Amino acid sequence: MGLAVFLAAAALAVAGGIGVIAFHEPIRSVLSLVVVMIALSILFLLLSAQFVFVVQIIVYAGAVMVLFLFVVALLGPARELGRGRLRFQGWLSGLFALVFLVLIWAMLQGVQYRLPEKADLHVFGTVQWIAVELFTKYLYPFELTSLLLLVAAIGAIYLSKRSIDDL
Amino acid sequence: MSIGGSQLDTSWFLLLGAVLFTLGAIGVLVRRNPLVILICIELMLNAVNLTLITFSRQLQNPEGQLFALMVMTVAAAEAVVGLAILVEIFRVRDAEDIDDLSELKG
Repeated sequence: MGLAVFLAAAALAVAGGIGVIAFHEPIRSVLSLVVVMIALSILFLLLSAQFVFVVQIIVYAGAVMVLFLFVVALLGPARELGRGRLRFQGWLSGLFALVFLVLIWAMLQGVQYRLPEKADLHVFGTVQWIAVELFTKYLYPFELTSLLLLVAAIGAIYLSKRSIDDL
Repeated sequence: MSIGGSQLDTSWFLLLGAVLFTLGAIGVLVRRNPLVILICIELMLNAVNLTLITFSRQLQNPEGQLFALMVMTVAAAEAVVGLAILVEIFRVRDAEDIDDLSELKG
């Protein structure tokens, strides 16, 4: 059962990933990325990461992708016409992809994973389990991310205003 | 690692993460629409998230999942600022090809 779910979600994710880089219209790339994110959220659930699964659906597939869709709608359909100036990039990136994948494959061959300790799956990945860690041990990085979001929000407002009087 | 009643190897998840990351990297290198390049960066960040959560499950450690949440925050911030810059560029000029935006080179 787990294997079948993994294979289906992995096939969906890879197909969506190919769609992201193969479609010429940006709107189709965005929708392919939504497919990838939903497939990845299924894999997160398979890895018993319940909270991250929910956050992936709501924040990523929901909010961030809607932002991309808004920008696509705003900018209109921008197709890539003709060939670019840097034609050798295609060959070089193919070479890069091949070398990278072979490296990862070779690295995974020799690895011996130690067996995971017996996990209490009633606790693992739940909101309580995440929250206890987040608000005790990792409180400082958590607060820093709020600062990062504030800076990003102010930056976006500053970039999108036409003049200082618009604020 | 036993997941969902059957034997699923950790390296399969890692390999899937590597494949998705490579697809995103190819997209960044090959595509010329700046919007699609941002989408491909999101794809790469998602692939890294999968790797982090796989190791979180393997090591029974919450840090992988916490770091995945941080990556999501950074990705959201990056998307917001990147798209704002992109909209600003498109407002000034029509830049369907990222290679057209090379005036700042030395």
